[in-house]
Formats: sequence, structure tokens, C-alpha cells
Amino acid sequence: MNAIRHPTLSRHDLEAILDVTKALAAPFDLTTMLGEVVAAAKQVLRAERGSVWLYDEPNGELVLEVATGIDPVRVPWQSGLVGACASTRGIINVPDCYADPRFDSRVDKASGYRTRCMLTLPLVDHKEVLVGVMQVLNKRDGVFDADDEALATALAAQCAVALSRVRMTSALIEGEKMRQALEMAREVQMSTLPAAMPSVPGYEVCATFRPADLTGGDTFDAALLEQGLLVVLGDATGHGIAPALSVTQMQAMLRMAFRLGADLETAFMQVNNRLADTLAEDRFITAFIGLLDPATHTLRFHSGGQGPILRYLACARTFDRYKPTSFPLGAMHLSSLRPAITVDMQPGDILLLVTDGFYEQENGRGEQFGEARVMAIVEAHADQPVGALLALLVDAVKAFAEGTPQADDMTAVLLKRDLDLRAERAFERRIDAIPALVEFTAGAFAHLGLDPQLLPRVDLAVEELFTNMVKYGRGSDAAVKVRLQAVEGGVDLTLIDRDVEPFDITRAPEVDVRAPIEAREPGGLGLHLIRRMADRVEYEYTAPTRQSRITVRFTSAARWGPPARTRGGNAVD
Amino acid sequence: MLSIEHGQDGNVVIAGRLDAAEAASAQSFLDNMAGVVTLDCSGLDYISSAGLGVLLKTQKRLLAANGKLRLAGLKPHLVDVFTYSGFDQLFEIEPGR
Repeated sequence: MNAIRHPTLSRHDLEAILDVTKALAAPFDLTTMLGEVVAAAKQVLRAERGSVWLYDEPNGELVLEVATGIDPVRVPWQSGLVGACASTRGIINVPDCYADPRFDSRVDKASGYRTRCMLTLPLVDHKEVLVGVMQVLNKRDGVFDADDEALATALAAQCAVALSRVRMTSALIEGEKMRQALEMAREVQMSTLPAAMPSVPGYEVCATFRPADLTGGDTFDAALLEQGLLVVLGDATGHGIAPALSVTQMQAMLRMAFRLGADLETAFMQVNNRLADTLAEDRFITAFIGLLDPATHTLRFHSGGQGPILRYLACARTFDRYKPTSFPLGAMHLSSLRPAITVDMQPGDILLLVTDGFYEQENGRGEQFGEARVMAIVEAHADQPVGALLALLVDAVKAFAEGTPQADDMTAVLLKRDLDLRAERAFERRIDAIPALVEFTAGAFAHLGLDPQLLPRVDLAVEELFTNMVKYGRGSDAAVKVRLQAVEGGVDLTLIDRDVEPFDITRAPEVDVRAPIEAREPGGLGLHLIRRMADRVEYEYTAPTRQSRITVRFTSAARWGPPARTRGGNAVD
Repeated sequence: MLSIEHGQDGNVVIAGRLDAAEAASAQSFLDNMAGVVTLDCSGLDYISSAGLGVLLKTQKRLLAANGKLRLAGLKPHLVDVFTYSGFDQLFEIEPGR
């Protein structure tokens, strides 16, 4: 059994140790704490100098902070006297340093100081974690003895705990600084997003930016410029401050280029090349950059790696899917560009620009939301205002996630051309015009986005009314105007006939559909059928122009049923 | 457009749109038929009152000579037209799909 030697602590020593404990409780920063530890060691052990090597566990090194502004000295954690101390976690007392092969004299050579004797102590905190190594040099009156070793061990334990506390505190502070820096980057990113959507005649524009907890690198833009409506959606690689700032930079460059009058190709290439110069080697930005001419409804765009780009085609209730025209912006220099993609926006069409945050949102089972779900929602709610549609899309993604956190920024821009509400054409007063009439009706249904289930009934009504006008308005040369107007849940069909005698179809006699065949005649059947198919039939005669106007309403709710409500027309001035 | 022609088993096959613009040609074709005539309507997409008039006139003529006009393969949306005009009571109708 080893005898334990208690050091003979003088009252002076004890006071010094207690002072040290008090001093070590105060500092919160590492530099001050290291100074306190060294000062305490020098005082308690009556040494000329002292130093503390901190253990950098991730790098497997011991690090000595020499002075502010000078790179610290780093040694592998198993090399030299400090290394031996760290790896064995035992105290090493060297009375004559230059006689010990483990002693590294380089520090002496650099400083001009001569180390005679040295105590090297492991700093192990209360959780048995190695914090570092303390060295105390040159005892003022001789060499370090066993009492000094014991005293130093007691001091080292105090120092280790204090250092450990400071390191943890500074890790927390660093985390907080990082969080604040991220928040600032996020603020910069958000501040460049348009505050309001531009007002574009004949179009609805709507966007959303839903940041993830960690900064993603999404951005969008929508602005009415001289070149047309600029629409941008961008997503920079990675998370953190850099992508947030690089998309902000791209967005600013694009705005600048377009404001200076650049066309789509020039802006795309110039911004790409500037980004290639400034972005880090492994960074790039996928981006859609498009210009819409609201007068001609032509959208031209380039996409640097941003996809899928979807266009909902209202008349066919299908989607067009476009591929990128180039690699992501900033990936490398561009000297030429493929032609831009041109999209002719038809009434009711929706351009869907949506970032990965939507498509790649996962649920608890690791499934992704995916394109198919996005398309299904858009198709089902294409008649809604785009703002409502986008809200539905966001809600659907949230519901799908089942609480799985949002991993990436969710950003979307939706651009919808207003659905035309009315189609009108004049037809020659001839039975031969019927094929053209049929074609017009079918075309108008597609154009106005009307419920195709209504088409057979409207088709029938158009022909019956038109045929009547041809038959009974032989005195007129005027063309017959046929108009289809979209209304809530259906369509109004209007036929306008000029230079004719009044014939109020709402007062036409009922057909007895139960009469025996001998008594049946074809006449009046058309009007009878219209009354059974329609929700409402209105007739109006304007005497000064001798104009008959018949309006028939069809809605999806009503199918064949009891006769429609009718409103006969009195002469209107 | 409308097509009307002789099919197999003495049937008459009618397809397309039987509207006011096509009524006259359908009428002249059916005026040449006699006896029990089955009109295969499985290709018929549309019929208006003008078309119903053609069928009514033909039915009256055939019935007077102990013949008749039967309608086969009528599409559901056309069955509605026959029902609401009471024409389902004037013809033997075999609906299609």
C-alpha cells in the first residue's frame, strides 16, 4: 500500500489557493481565464513562468496561445513532455530539462528564455475530461519537490474545472453569435424580396417564401419593368449564411441588369459570369428567369438548372413540363446560350414555379410530397384565385409532413392569366353556318374553361335557337350574334338577332309530349327541349332596333329537369 | 358532319351529328327505306329537333305500311333528348353504352 503524503501547506499557501479559487470563479472568456490560471500557478508554486496548453480534441492536438495576434503553437497530443503528460494523465517533474530527451527547446530558442526545471500537469476536470496541460517553469529557489507536486495537483484540479466551464460558456456564446449572424443573413435575404406583387393587367401574380429554421438559399422576384413582367425564382446550394447572401446578390444583379435595359439573354449570361467569378468554387444557384409580355401573352425564360417548370394548360386541363436551358448560375462561365423557351400563356393558364422545399418535404415515413401531388392540387383548384391556390398548396404540404420539420426554404411564384369570361361571334343567317357554330361553341368551352359536361346541352340550344332565327327571320340580312359568357357554376348563352319581328320564345305553346304519334309534329320541340335543359330562359325585344335577345343559362348543378324559369320580354327602349 | 349508310343485316348505320344542316340528306336516305328498319345509332353524337323531325316523319310513313323504325345503341345523353321530348314512346329504343 502506498503511503499518501499530504503536503505541508503553509497558511500562506492556503490563502493563495483560496484566492486562486475566487479568481477562477469570475472570468467568462478564455484569455482572461488562462491568464488567471498561469498567474495562480506562478504564485502558489513560486515559479518564474507558466503556460497552459489546451487540448483540441477534434484535431488531436495541444494548442498553446502565445500572444494575441500570433498564431498559436500546435503539437500532436502525444509528442514531447506535454504530449506524454496528456496521454498518461500523470504529473511529470523534470529537474533538468536539457537532460531530458522529451524536452523541446524550440520555445526557449524563440523566446531567449532558458528553462531549467519544469512541472508538467494534466488538467482533468470533474467529469474526467482532459482539458489541457499546465506547465510551470523554473522554481525561484531550486527545483520542484514532492510538496510542490501535491500543491500543483490540487491547483490543477481547480484550474481544469474553471477552464472547462469557460470553454462550455464560449461554445454557447459562439452558437449564439452564429445564430445572430444567420438571423442577419436571413434579414438581408428577406429584405430584398418584393414587398408587394406587381399589378399586371390580365394576370394574377402571387408568391410565398417560407424559410426553414436554418437559412436556405431561396429567393424570388416579380417586378413590372420596361422589358415586361420579370419573374425570378432562385435556390442557392447549401444552408447557412453564404447561400442566403449569394441569392441576394444574384437578385440585386438581375434587377440592376434589367433596369439598365438588358435583354433576357444578356442579363442571364452577365449575371451568370459575375457569379462564376465571385461565388466559391463549390457553390452555384439554380434559377428561373423569365420575362412576360402581358400584351402578347408571350413568356420567354431561361432556367439555370431550376426545374421542374410547370405550366398548367387550362383548356386541356394538363401540364406542360419544361427543362432548364442551362446549368446553374455561377457554376462556370457562359459564352453562348441556347435559345430561350417561349410559352404562349392562354386564358386560365398557370405558370408554377416551386422550389425543392415543396417537392422534397418528407412525411414520417420518408416519402416526399412530390410533383404529382402538386399537380393534382393545382388541377383540382385551378379555378381559384392564385393566392387561394397557393395557400391550399402550402397547407397540403404541411398536412402531408405530419409534423416532420421543414428541411428547406419553401418558395413559390404562381402566375396566372385571367380566364376570359366571354366569347362572341357573328354568324351568317344560313343553315350552312351550323358547322361553324358547332366549332365556335366547342372552342369557346375550352377557351373559357367551361365545364365540358354542359357542352351537349349548350350545343343543342345554340342550334335550336339559331335554326329558329334562320327560319323565322327571313326578312333580315343581319348576322346573328352568338355569345357565351362564363357565370358562377355555368354559362349564359345569348343569341342576338336584329331587324326581326318579336317572337317571345318564353310564351311559345307547350308541346304535348304524351300525344299519340299521329298528333305529333316536329314544330316547337326545340324550344321545349331548351326549357327542359336550362336553368333559366329570358327573352327581350328592343323595338327601335327590332332586336331579339335570348339568354339561356346552364349550370353544372342542373341537368335535365322540370321546365326552366322564364322571363318574357317587354319592349325595351 | 353526318354519315348515313347501309350496314350489315339490313341495318342503317348513322354516325356524327344529325342537326338542321344535315336533316335533308338524312331524310332523303330514310325515304328510300321500307319495312322494319333498325337504325344503328352507336356512332351518333348529336341530335336536335330537326333530326327528331326526320325520325318522326320516317316512323309515321313506315308504321302506315306495317313497318317501323327501331333505334339501337343510342348514347345516354341522346336518350335524355328522346325522353324529354316524349320520343321514347314513339320508338323502340335499345340504349347503347
